[in-house]
This record gives sequence, structure tokens and C-alpha cells, in this order.
Amino acid sequence: MSECIVITSGKGGVGKTTTTANLGVALAQQGKSVAVVDADIGLRNLDVILGLENRIVYDLVHVIEGECRLKQALIKDKRLENLCLLPAAQTRDKNAVTPEQMRDLIAKLKETHDYVLVDCPAGIEQGFKNAIAGADRAIIVTTPEVSAIRDADRIIGMVEAAELPEPQLIINRFRAKMVQAGDMMNKDDILEILAIPLLGVVPDHEDIIVSANRGLPVAFDEESLVGEAYRRIGRTLAGEADVPMLDLTVQDSFWTTVKRWMGLSPAREVAR
Amino acid sequence: MKDLFNRFFGGRNAGRSKDEAKQRLKFLLIHDQVDLTPAQLETMKNEILEVIGRYVEIDAASTEFKLEKAEDCIALVSSVPVRRVVERPASAPPTSGTPVPA
Ligand SMILES: Nc1ncnc2c1ncn2[C@@H]1O[C@H](COP(=O)(O)OP(=O)(O)OP(=O)(O)O)[C@@H](O)[C@H]1O
Ligand SMILES: [Mg+2]
Repeated sequence: MSECIVITSGKGGVGKTTTTANLGVALAQQGKSVAVVDADIGLRNLDVILGLENRIVYDLVHVIEGECRLKQALIKDKRLENLCLLPAAQTRDKNAVTPEQMRDLIAKLKETHDYVLVDCPAGIEQGFKNAIAGADRAIIVTTPEVSAIRDADRIIGMVEAAELPEPQLIINRFRAKMVQAGDMMNKDDILEILAIPLLGVVPDHEDIIVSANRGLPVAFDEESLVGEAYRRIGRTLAGEADVPMLDLTVQDSFWTTVKRWMGLSPAREVAR
Repeated sequence: MKDLFNRFFGGRNAGRSKDEAKQRLKFLLIHDQVDLTPAQLETMKNEILEVIGRYVEIDAASTEFKLEKAEDCIALVSSVPVRRVVERPASAPPTSGTPVPA
């Protein structure tokens, strides 16, 4: 029983590609066979985040146009042999592919993989329509900001209009300190507005930038808190029930404790 | 004193800006969904009040018209205080407070 999940957001730059790469790694670490598909044709990035850019010969458009077989275009990750990437074309545009072609391609990938994760481009046009065409369900990525949440709401409506089941939410770039100070919406504020189930919360963390520099997704890093966030989301995604969410509470400094004691600091707000 | 203390310990912006974010978002999403700008809503309100005004004398200053998220739909909730009836007392509507599905 295999499944295709599209990772989408509406707004650009909120972390779709980072999420796709890390969930691909997290699922593969659990022994699942995973194909991650870069559907951002013309602006490919997933290859770089995964550190596989030097091994690309063929891409998604080559496969669709029959210039190579699907298997020839799939790049196997050497660190995790049950993970592979289907890269996007870099010199073509979104109109090189139709939703029907994507649906056929995804169906073929599902024959040989437990999970097919599709990294959706930003926006609501052709690229989005192609990316969701073969999907069985969707994950919406947002950050705790007004503009990102507004776009997420729009995309949730479009996912429902495409007759996919209710999508799940990942809140990315969460900053516990700001939430505690009342300067960032917390988990419950966002869920109240978007009203879809939460899959997980990912902290805003410099490990993401370091891992992008190296082409080594942070989910590989056993020590990293963000890596752990992705690994737990991966477990939930694979069907494990009641995976505890990461405790993102900020440990109080001495002065914050004194201030709170004197009634000068807002009460604690917690991510979980 | 409290102010001074807060400034000293870097609490100057101890604002709850997230409440503002949430308020703005809620408003934004409702207007996105019905595809009606605040200006259009104002025009609609004035036209509706004009019609109501033909039947009853209303307190224009304290009328309220807003879009709210209800269970399954967006509701237009209005409150129009009536001072007295202008004509045809029998068919004059009472103060409206009924949601109209948008
Ligand atoms: N949790 C995080 N902490 C810190 N930085 C992050 C986090 N998530 C994403 N970023 C950074 O945000 C930027 C955008 O991330 P990413 O490319 O994954 O977003 P995207 O939604 O795929 O963007 P696009 O819409 O352009 O495809 C990157 O520079 C990435 O390093
Ligand atoms: Mg991307």
C-alpha cells in the first residue's frame, strides 16, 4: 500500500523543500522506500538540499517526454539506499508538464515505493496543479506569520476543491522565545484559524542553514533538535500513533524568573 | 517604577503583537472568503439602511454590520436600532439581529 503526499504552502520560502527532504530522510530511516519528487520545474532546489546535484543526468521532463526511462532518472541516495530523488528540469518551465502526465508518473513511482513525496512550487497556478495531480493527500507548511497563514488558508481551500482528504499542517520556523513573549502566534492560535489537524512543529534553527550548506538534511543529525522534530513527524506520517511532540519550551533565565515573579513578564506559553 | 524596571531588563517591547496578528488574520480570511472588500461592505450597508429607512426610522450612528465566521458559513450579522415606525406599523420589521448566510 503506497501513498503519494504533496508538500505545499501557497506562499514561497516557508520551508516546503526543506520539509520534503527531511521527511524523505526520516521515512527512509524507518526502512520505508521513498521517492522524493521535485515538482518545482525551472527552479529546482531539492537536489541541492539533499546534496545530490552532481549526479543528475536526466530529469522529470526527460522522463515525461520519453527521452529516458523512469529508472534512469532516479538518483539513489548513497547514505540511505531506500531513498531516491526525481529531479526537476532546470531549463524548462511549468507548462512542459500536464497534470495527466504527472498523475501517470506518480502512479508508476508508487508501484515501486512506499512513499512518494512531492515538493510543490510556490503559488496557485500550473505548477501547483501539476504537483497535486497525483497526490493522495497533502501536507501544508506554514510559518507563524500573517501572510503565510493567509496563503495556507487559500491553499487548504484549493486542496479540498481538488477532492483530496483534509490536509495536515506543519508549523515551521517556530520561535519559542517570541511565543513566550506574546510576539508570535502559538500552535493553538494557528490551529484555531486554519482548523486542520497538526502534524508537527519545527523550530527555527541555524542547523537548517548549516545542513543546507553541506547538502546533508538535518534529519541525519542525531544530535539536532530540528532533526528530531523531523524524525518524529516522519514517525507520525508512517502511521505511528501518539508520537509525543517535541518540547519547545524555553528554559527560563534567572532574570525572566525574577520578572515573572514580580509580575512583569507574561505567563508562559508553550508550544506543545 | 515598573516601566523603568522593564526598560532596564530589556522588556521595552513586551507587546502582545501576536494578538494583533490573530485579529488581523481573522478579519482578512473572512473578507478573502466572501471576496468583499471593507469598502464594498460599507456601500452595501448604506444601501440596505436606505431601504430599511423607508419603513422605520433608524439610529444610523449605532448600526452595526459585520461579517463573522459561523459554524459552516460566513454570516452577515447586523444590528439596526429602530427609533420608531415611519408608516405601515403592522408590517414593519423589528430590530434585526438575524444572521444572513453569505
Ligand atoms: N526551520 C527553519 N529554521 C531556519 N531556517 C529555515 C527553516 N526552514 C526553512 N528555512 C530557510 O528558509 C529558506 C526557504 O526554505 P525552503 O527553500 O525549504 O522553502 P520553500 O517553501 O521550498 O521555498 P520556495 O517557495 O522558494 O520553493 C531557506 O533558506 C531555508 O534554509
Ligand atoms: Mg522549494
